[in-house]
Amino acid sequence: MKFVFEKRKTQLKRLLFLIPFISFVGSLFLSGLLLLAFKTNPLMVYGAMFKGAFGNWFNFQETLVKAIPLMLAGCGVIIAFRMRFWNIGAEGQLVMGGIFAAWVSLFLIDFIPPWLVLPAAFTAALIGGGLWAGIPAILKAKLGVDETLTSLMLNYVAIIFCQYLYNVVWIDPNGYGFPGSKIFDKAAWLPRLTGRVHLGLIFALIIALVLWFMLKKTKWGFELKIIGESPMTAKYLGINIPKNIIIALFISGGISGIAGMGEVTGIAHRLTHGLDMGYGFTAIIIAWMSQLNPIAAIFVSILMSVLLVGGDQVQRTMGLPSAIGLLLQGMILFPLLAGALFSEYRVKSIKSIGEAVK
Amino acid sequence: MIGLITSLLAITISAGTSLLYATIGEIYTERSGILNLGIEGMMLMGAVTSFAVSYYTNSLFLALLIAMVVTAFMALIHAFLTITMKANQVVSGLSITIFGTGLSSFLGKRLGPESNNFNLYGVNGKNFPDIQVPLVGDWPIFSAILNQDILTYIAYLIIPLAWFFMYKTKKGLNLRAVGENPRTAEAMGINVIRTRYIYTVIGGMFAGIGGAHLALAYTPGWNEHITGGRGWIVIALVIFAMWNPGKAILGTLLFGGINAIQFRLQAAGTDIPASLLNMLPYLVTVLALVLLTVYENYGKRKIGAPSALGKPYMKEDK
Amino acid sequence: MKKKLYWLILIISALTFLTGCQKKTDVSDSGDKAAVEQTEKFKIAFIYIGAPGDLGWTYEHYRGKQMIETKYGSKVETVHIEDVPEGPDASRVIRQYAQEGYNMIFTTSFGYMDPTVEVAAEFPEVYFEHCSGYKTADNLSTYFGKMYQPRYLSGLVAGSMTKSNIIGYVAAFPIPEVTRGINAFTIGVRKVNPDAVVKVIWTSTWYNPTQEREAAVALLDAGADIIAQHQDTTEPQKAAMERGKLSIGYDSDMGSFVGETVLTSPVWNWGAYYTRTVGEALEGTWKSESYWGGLKEGVVELAKMSPLVPADVVSLVETETAKIISGSWDVFDGPIKDQDGNILAAEGESIDAGKLLSQSFFVEGVDGKLK
Repeated sequence: MKFVFEKRKTQLKRLLFLIPFISFVGSLFLSGLLLLAFKTNPLMVYGAMFKGAFGNWFNFQETLVKAIPLMLAGCGVIIAFRMRFWNIGAEGQLVMGGIFAAWVSLFLIDFIPPWLVLPAAFTAALIGGGLWAGIPAILKAKLGVDETLTSLMLNYVAIIFCQYLYNVVWIDPNGYGFPGSKIFDKAAWLPRLTGRVHLGLIFALIIALVLWFMLKKTKWGFELKIIGESPMTAKYLGINIPKNIIIALFISGGISGIAGMGEVTGIAHRLTHGLDMGYGFTAIIIAWMSQLNPIAAIFVSILMSVLLVGGDQVQRTMGLPSAIGLLLQGMILFPLLAGALFSEYRVKSIKSIGEAVK
Repeated sequence: MIGLITSLLAITISAGTSLLYATIGEIYTERSGILNLGIEGMMLMGAVTSFAVSYYTNSLFLALLIAMVVTAFMALIHAFLTITMKANQVVSGLSITIFGTGLSSFLGKRLGPESNNFNLYGVNGKNFPDIQVPLVGDWPIFSAILNQDILTYIAYLIIPLAWFFMYKTKKGLNLRAVGENPRTAEAMGINVIRTRYIYTVIGGMFAGIGGAHLALAYTPGWNEHITGGRGWIVIALVIFAMWNPGKAILGTLLFGGINAIQFRLQAAGTDIPASLLNMLPYLVTVLALVLLTVYENYGKRKIGAPSALGKPYMKEDK
Repeated sequence: MKKKLYWLILIISALTFLTGCQKKTDVSDSGDKAAVEQTEKFKIAFIYIGAPGDLGWTYEHYRGKQMIETKYGSKVETVHIEDVPEGPDASRVIRQYAQEGYNMIFTTSFGYMDPTVEVAAEFPEVYFEHCSGYKTADNLSTYFGKMYQPRYLSGLVAGSMTKSNIIGYVAAFPIPEVTRGINAFTIGVRKVNPDAVVKVIWTSTWYNPTQEREAAVALLDAGADIIAQHQDTTEPQKAAMERGKLSIGYDSDMGSFVGETVLTSPVWNWGAYYTRTVGEALEGTWKSESYWGGLKEGVVELAKMSPLVPADVVSLVETETAKIISGSWDVFDGPIKDQDGNILAAEGESIDAGKLLSQSFFVEGVDGKLK
């Protein structure tokens, strides 16, 4: 007897949602062991995290604030991953979107009516993030250059470029030389719904819904899936792969760009540090945990946000390093990745060739 | 002039040692067909554990050993997930990095002495001293090369050894075969799964040495920014070296001391925007990738990435 | 059916998490209540950019906090949070303290300025204190110190003790506070040694031990034999010591951490201000202000000299200190020339206020670019 893995024809839906849940519990358990090793009660830690994230209306708002860029970047990543295009450049695309939105809010604002500023910033962010994702897409589609590495490298180019802008080129002339652009005109402030929760939340929810529909119900969504699962079939069906890659990646990067716009025009109201907070990398974990489902990504984003916001709370109330949040975030995928084997493959026992002959 | 070149070379070599170890390790891992984006997290873990051990035991050997064991274990997680569980390599690697960043930061604030509020930052431990080779070590240029710490000297030896192993031995041939075409390799009687496990773990150990070199030699001590993104530069350097350990030295020499070089240019009154220089490794890598791919497409000659890089291997997959 | 299952799982997981945590939060809740019942303590929170372990900037604010505790004892309760990045998170953390009923909040980094202003507007009954910024409100004071005064004094020490006549200066950003320090330091150096130059390298970071070290080593290679700095860690001092060279610290008494190769350090002594402003708040006499204290007020000072500093230099520093404290002379009183030899202020004059504030110049003797 011998066991082999056979790819499932259809993913098991039951496992599709059970596995992320088990993963979450699993990572809490694993981290709990680590905390115990440092003579800390993990239940206390998780309790503090929960309280920090949901304890009162304000904390919950802040959890949402942090979840907004994660939701958007997560959705962006999902599009690319659907066709197995490993875009790990969401971080850079987010930063580029922020830069473009800041450009509108700092300069173009003088030439357009106030009501047009935010739509213009939105469009600019979409284009900024889209173009930045477009580079690896075109390189892949036209020349076959590996997208994982190019999109990764472009993150750092965008981040350093952004630092250069707010440290040197766009620095506030009245800011006593401290890093950061001048504060935008009020016309470029993204309206807030409550507390610091800005309109970006609505963007994220709409985008997730539309995306879910597009991926599930339209021909375009189907084409992406086919390209991802079997490029040969796609070719056979006459799908234009290069065109699809470029368009999908433009949208993927564009959505991450909007996340950047939200941070710049909704939170900071200026271009300054705090844009490259690692949201783009967390987005990849979110995309994976939500099994590339945009609706699920909304919930997973909130969960990730709980870990990050809760990390601070752990430090405030228990005096433990806030890095616990990051630690949990990194751990959360291990059980999931291991478990994915069972949702995507099934174990089949076969008689080895030798036995069969006998 | 000779003096400036010597001092530039000295700092570049010293700054590049950690990169060199991690790059060679990653080349071996990628050659077996596994992409490991967890290098940054592993280097951080290597740095924090080695420093903690050196602080408490005063044994540099033990510090290095523990760092290697810890990062080997992290690499084992990556290997288990991507090889046995066939998980996505990109996602697994990123998880390892996020996990390593979080854990190293956590440990850095818990492993320290009670007198320093359990913080490892701000305490001094034992570190690898520079060893000067007598006589020759005084000469210009030579003094840069022969006035380094022991890990750097070992690195000098490792470059040719790593090259020789990969290109001139049977095991090296097997390794390359596994990364190029695992199915054929399996048919030739090579155990693909075992090979990938071995080289992923070896790659992790090398990343651990890289991290340890930062904490025990280059910038003695622990701080959360100690790698300064070196783990990502390593990914770039592997491409730049075209997956050839012999060429890893070029990239590390070019980019290892990029900060140090920029500070020297500033001190000499030259004005190149720091941001431009810092962007350089990443931009050049993208360019190198494009050129490599185009060259392969038209020249039909294989020089770039191992063909099976990033793809899970299934024995009976149809 | 499958969807329903999904929602079910989600709800169940949320519930288990909720109930699971409820028990634990009860424990800490009762702890909170006990604290409230005890007394009406004056609660003070500090927001730190780094950790006290940096032995620099945050360490000094931490020491200041301890002085509040020592002086007011059981009347106050102080807490701090470390490593709060100057980004979107700062506002949340500050607001959380305000909501939890803290009476006074110190935000100790420039980048917290806008978040502090924002939160201060929402909590008019809470006292806010922001370090190094320029925006005030009715319940928001700013505070900073004339660090340039002890920097000038440390320049006297460096100028007297350099042999190569090149002094390296590792600096973070070309902002007024940093250039003011470089200028004051250089004025001190040139007063005792008109041949010496101060070579400046910008690191573009406040806190990156690796880069600070690399910058210091580059300066040593360029011939510097004393390293001064405007950063938040002790790395430049350690780098100098390892090369057998001298250094001047900053922020805290770095000599006590690194060794006697650190000749002296211009240091913060926030306790002098903190105890005063907390006292005023306790008595109800607190008023919003822009505090800028100097050697006289004791908020800045020069740390103890290393035994390597000769006695005549020590006594020179003492004389100059007395001069500044008495108010008969200050560092930027003329004559002062800029880098290119143009006169900025003649004998008996002082640099005009605008220039003094913006510090858009380097004085004669600085080897570096203002950009």
